[in-house]
Amino acid sequence: MEPLAFASLAHVRVLLLPVGNIRKPDFERWAGEIAGFESIRLGDIPSHSKDDRARFMPNPLSSGFLHLSFTTHPAPTSHVPLSLIRPSDFPLGVIGIASCSQTDALSSVLADFNEVVSNLFPEGATYPLAKNCFVFEESDGNTNIDVGNHFPGLVVIPALLGNKQLHIGTLLADLCSNILGEFATVMQALESPLGNEYLNASIFPTLPPPSDLPRSLDHEIRSHDSLPPLPSQHSQPELATTSGALRSKTPLPLKRNSTIASGLMPPRHASLPPPSAKKKPAVIGAASSHGRLFKVTGDLFLLAGRLEDSEIWYSEALALLKGTQDTAWHAAALEGSAVIQIVQAWASTANEPSDVELWSDILDKLKQASALYHRTTPQTESESTFSLLTYLYTHSVLRQALLLFSVWSTKGWGPHAFSMMMHPDGSFYSPLANSSAPSRRRSFHSDLERLTTISGISRAQIASILTQIHGPWLLHLDERERIVVLQALASIYGALGYCRKEAYILREVLGCVMDLIVCGREDETPIRTPNPGLGIRGITFDGEPASQGVIGVREVEPVEGNDSILRVVKQICKIHGVDLEAVKLTYVSDRQDFTTMEGNGFEEAGNVAETTEAPFGWPELQIGIVREALAVAEALPDYPSVAQFSLSSLKTLHEVMSQAEQYQMYQAATRALAIAKRRGDSRTVEYWSGKPIVSLEILPLPLPRLPMEKPLSLLVQEFTSRGHVIAGYTDPFLYNPRRQSGRAQSTLVQGEPFEVVITLRNPFVFDLELQSIRLSTSGVPIESESITLTVPANSYHPVKLSGKALHAGTLVIRGCVVQAPGGAPCEFTLPLATDDEEDKRGGQQNANECDMERVKRSGLDARGWEKRRSRLSGVDLGSTGQGAKPTIRHLECKVIEEQPLLRIRRTSLTHGAVMLYNGETSTIRLVLENVSSLPVDFLALSFDDSTIGPARQTLADDNLPVFETYETEYDLIYRPVFSWDKNQSPHSIHPGEKTTLTLNCFGKVGCTNGTINVSYAYVHRPQANLQKPPDVFHTRQLSFSALVTVYHMLECDSMDILPYPQDAALVAHHGGDDTPELQAMKSVMKIPDAVDWCLFSITVRNTYGIPFQVTFRRHQAGVDDASTTALVPPGSSTRLLIPIKKISLSMEQTTKPVPTLSDKQFVVTKSSLTSAEEHAQRELFWYREELFRTVHGEWKEGGGARQGSLSLRQQRMSMRMLEALRLETTRVQMSLVPCDEGDAGKSIASNQAGTRFLPSSDEFVCLRIKVTNLSPSALVLSLNVNLDPSSHIISQGVLSNIPLGRLGSGDFHESEVPLVFISCGRFDLRVEVESLNSSGDLTQVGRGLLRATVMAS
Amino acid sequence: MSHHLFLLSPSDTPLYQLTHYSSKPAQTTTSPLASNLPSWSTSAFAGTLTALSGATSASQAHHAQGGNIRIGGGQDRHVIQMIANASLDVIEEVMRKENAMYLKSVDKFNEWTVSAFVTPGNMKFVLLHETRNDDGIKAFFNDVWELYVKTMLNPFHTAHTPIRSTVFDTRVRASAKKYL
Repeated sequence: MEPLAFASLAHVRVLLLPVGNIRKPDFERWAGEIAGFESIRLGDIPSHSKDDRARFMPNPLSSGFLHLSFTTHPAPTSHVPLSLIRPSDFPLGVIGIASCSQTDALSSVLADFNEVVSNLFPEGATYPLAKNCFVFEESDGNTNIDVGNHFPGLVVIPALLGNKQLHIGTLLADLCSNILGEFATVMQALESPLGNEYLNASIFPTLPPPSDLPRSLDHEIRSHDSLPPLPSQHSQPELATTSGALRSKTPLPLKRNSTIASGLMPPRHASLPPPSAKKKPAVIGAASSHGRLFKVTGDLFLLAGRLEDSEIWYSEALALLKGTQDTAWHAAALEGSAVIQIVQAWASTANEPSDVELWSDILDKLKQASALYHRTTPQTESESTFSLLTYLYTHSVLRQALLLFSVWSTKGWGPHAFSMMMHPDGSFYSPLANSSAPSRRRSFHSDLERLTTISGISRAQIASILTQIHGPWLLHLDERERIVVLQALASIYGALGYCRKEAYILREVLGCVMDLIVCGREDETPIRTPNPGLGIRGITFDGEPASQGVIGVREVEPVEGNDSILRVVKQICKIHGVDLEAVKLTYVSDRQDFTTMEGNGFEEAGNVAETTEAPFGWPELQIGIVREALAVAEALPDYPSVAQFSLSSLKTLHEVMSQAEQYQMYQAATRALAIAKRRGDSRTVEYWSGKPIVSLEILPLPLPRLPMEKPLSLLVQEFTSRGHVIAGYTDPFLYNPRRQSGRAQSTLVQGEPFEVVITLRNPFVFDLELQSIRLSTSGVPIESESITLTVPANSYHPVKLSGKALHAGTLVIRGCVVQAPGGAPCEFTLPLATDDEEDKRGGQQNANECDMERVKRSGLDARGWEKRRSRLSGVDLGSTGQGAKPTIRHLECKVIEEQPLLRIRRTSLTHGAVMLYNGETSTIRLVLENVSSLPVDFLALSFDDSTIGPARQTLADDNLPVFETYETEYDLIYRPVFSWDKNQSPHSIHPGEKTTLTLNCFGKVGCTNGTINVSYAYVHRPQANLQKPPDVFHTRQLSFSALVTVYHMLECDSMDILPYPQDAALVAHHGGDDTPELQAMKSVMKIPDAVDWCLFSITVRNTYGIPFQVTFRRHQAGVDDASTTALVPPGSSTRLLIPIKKISLSMEQTTKPVPTLSDKQFVVTKSSLTSAEEHAQRELFWYREELFRTVHGEWKEGGGARQGSLSLRQQRMSMRMLEALRLETTRVQMSLVPCDEGDAGKSIASNQAGTRFLPSSDEFVCLRIKVTNLSPSALVLSLNVNLDPSSHIISQGVLSNIPLGRLGSGDFHESEVPLVFISCGRFDLRVEVESLNSSGDLTQVGRGLLRATVMAS
Repeated sequence: MSHHLFLLSPSDTPLYQLTHYSSKPAQTTTSPLASNLPSWSTSAFAGTLTALSGATSASQAHHAQGGNIRIGGGQDRHVIQMIANASLDVIEEVMRKENAMYLKSVDKFNEWTVSAFVTPGNMKFVLLHETRNDDGIKAFFNDVWELYVKTMLNPFHTAHTPIRSTVFDTRVRASAKKYL
């Protein structure tokens, strides 16, 4: 569609028609050549001034121009009533364009041309005034078409002709000359009385039909010619042939004198026929009768380029029309006179000074004209009158707007503005074509403002004129005109930067176009629409772009049909902030092929922004517009676009949509996709609903299947569980750089299934169906099924995908491939979040939130993509210095070789529970079965029970004294609940084999449950190649947990150790008829020498319901084993005694520190004891250990078979007990012997056990002291004797520091002290042995006591 | 005669809408061109066109002379909103150049005149009216502004939060009754 020109009133319109079977490109080429002639100098037009036809011919040597405009569409037939008021709207000349190579084809070309013309223009039409057919010779070069004069109305342009332009120019000038000649003819008809009557008959008069005109004789003859005759060369064949009468020649040339005078006042002939005044007295006042005539004359002079004449006639017409009711004609005359000024200005561009106020006069005239049109009340209520009036009105307003717009867009009143108004070209509506890219909206605005400043016309001014066009009256217009007007309106709004108004108008344009399409289809007419003038030709309704001439909705792309319409739809939506292309269309070519959404690219940024971005736009309007867009796409129909639109709007607008709307959109999309698929449309939509994956994680393998990596060196060293038990599995180092951090790779096993949990998000209110979702991986090939699922509305939905790795190696899980029903699959990757990434994202989020709070952009700049673009451009600038972006890491896991698998077939426990007495040991049997195809050649067991944890905890607290620590550790290590004899167990299990493991279970109070972990592996694999085998192997673990119940039934307490009493030894040696218990007791107590022994005693209490037999056994080197047994009834306690030979430990042993059983590192011993105390403590510790090594307690169920051990570990040892237990360093044996040599055989009486001597008073006795060195080393000893009460004893010699000399180990020394008891009574004789050590100090190493009871002799 | 008030956020989202019917009769000066409109097509798209060009309301006015019931539901409401939205183009331009907050009769479209009030926070109050009533509208806008500022004092209220306060609503209505 040609752009609307301001000066169209001064354009001679020429219709270009394709004739014959000319090809489209050819036609367009030639049409382009012809259309290159926008104006023709008046001087170039051949003048035929011989007859009355010369009236409108240019004056010789006149310097004006005749302006041409070319069209390819004839004016619509409904506009015929305008033929006199607006002659410039009609094609005044017709040029047929044909191409031909054969001479003989020319006749058919001519016939075609005539037929086409007669089809287009009905009989009796005023126009066209001249026609010609240009035949362009096809360039095969040889033929030379000779036309001669055989075909009048046909011109052949030879292919060989060099300067075709010139030739065409000449031909055009000829045509124009014809047209100008015919102007005179028209004028003649109007000037006749009848013609004038017709002219004034109605508001939109037409020329009188030829039959009404009086005929002249010479044309009478012609009228009888029935065949298409051979008229004179330059006449109008159409008029001649169709009517057979030339209207114009007949009437008297009324005005010839005036036209020749050309510029004088036209005489006012009162040649108005009275009948017309009678007929319509109200319409046409008598005085105005010539107003219309003069106006037509002015129009024709304007067209003919004779501006001065035209101006004179216009002013005449205005003078006549001013006072009358004939507003439409008045307005038309005003418009004409306004246009003249522009044409004049254009013609004299060079020397015209630019005057700012020049256009105001023109604008006034145009305003007046518009107001007059607006006021016009058509008398006849026929619709066509309304339509035509509206047409004139809208065009006059548009002309006003164009005037201002041209001046504005060309930076002021000047040659550019004139030429733009005269001959607008394609870029007319985009004055700032180069800067209209939306990225530069800001500068775009400032450019627009600059235009305003330069030209002095504000955009609002232009817009306010444009709004006058818009109103209900637009409905009067017929479709083509309406589209033209609306399109011009939209274009100007667009050029002004008034995007929203443009969108408003575009919606109307769309309404028009779609209405035509829909109606056209409803009528089920063939493709051609009823009105050929409408230009809606060749629309095909099967969704393919129409071939040609479809509604050029915007002036840019006139031939694209559906695409153009959809583009308009998208443009409208875009302005309202809805991106209908948020979901892209793709072609389904290959199912494997999918697009990838990078998790952290701009896409991600978009997604993040999407969630937090401030909403833009008017939700109600947006939804309304989207609905309309859907309706348009459905009506076209373009189903993929329907889907695209509905899904895009769902994606972008779902927050403001109601539930029902969301659901409807989704339904529409689903339906449309199904239809598109059914119809074999190759397009489909991408995955649309944002990024559905929220998180992705590999489910850890179930514990029995989980392989654990162990270094191969572990196999070599002794597999001890000691350290493990104590310290748990924690590392001794707080920071171990070799240990992998918590984000360790997870391990998968080749050939075994693994599961990945993907969390999907559905932000919509409907259940989202996903046709398929599958894992997207790289690295090791996997076997994985895709699944179909439905994500519930408005929720996060975890879904499990399983897969199986086929080889060992590294598996990278990138994300997953999602496909919506009917859509294209799309991969969403989920990289691991690095700190940088997190920071960046956090920053972005903050920025977004900041933006939400303060409004930095308003209006159309606030649309999401505008914001994002500017932000990104800022980011780009900033980040160029930072270099490459960090590599993206994905979830990786390690796939190891196939592993064997064991399972527990059965156990010897019922219900997995064990019931034990404290200290009892029982066995558990586990039957293992190898269910895999690989053998197991490594088995190791580890155990855990409920006592280990708390014990470890107390150990870890580290506040325990050394002694306590030892006890706890001892308990953990030597008395575990479970134990296993490694050497008795099988070492390999072959595939399918079963094997039995036997475990010991020890009853320990406080244990409630325990776990048996069986680690196994296939270590010694056959090596497939010569590669170095990996230095790690993988174990798997079987766990079996048992419930343990331990009954606490026997308690030991108050352990004591006493010196062996001499009396007791005596009793034991006496035989007698005692009870068996007593005899057993006696046999236990029977010892060789009481001095070497001590007595161990302990109380055992039975707190349980049944009696237990308790036995304490003694195992001591060098002595016979002995045991003592007692039956402890329920609820009572029994004390048991057993003699123990005194123990002697070497100094080295007793001074050793208390050992630690674990590998724990002790940094400092935090003890505050003095060295003496520490020594004592150590001595106590070591003797106690020795004691427990010697004495063991056992119990046996009374009358049952169950037995177990009794622990003494709870018992404490005191210093006193230690003294009794420890073998003395030196033993002092004292006796009283008679002093006389003669009485050698006589001994002093003593009591039975020899513990008390009974000497008599006043007798000389000798105190014999035998000191034996029992220590392993030699000692230097001295002796102190203390006699009590000393006042009643007389002794000889010194009593203190009696030197004994050096005694070797085991040596003894006897010394005697003679003394006399000088009174009766009890005496205590004490001896202390002191040893002199190397430093010269004396240490007491032994003592003796002798009691004597002295009786009177 | 009716008035339509829209409070538009800087991102063109309406935060509050009010339709006020005043008892004053509308003085309509319709062009003769606007009468006798043809009803030429029944398709949905033609309906859109009819509504957008203002023909519906014109013909309604024709049928119910002086009647207050101008604005029905659906389509017309949509058109009113379209007009209010489209007038933002002009408002944005004028507000760049002028310092005044009250932009009186800044735009005209179909039968509607558009007046606007731009707050310093770039909120736009848009009022569609049919007759000139400059002083009344100015007073009304000042009232609404005050009420709006009071609403904004709420720390949880951002520039994008829709105003759902009933107090605001009743007060705006009262003010509309008073001045329009």
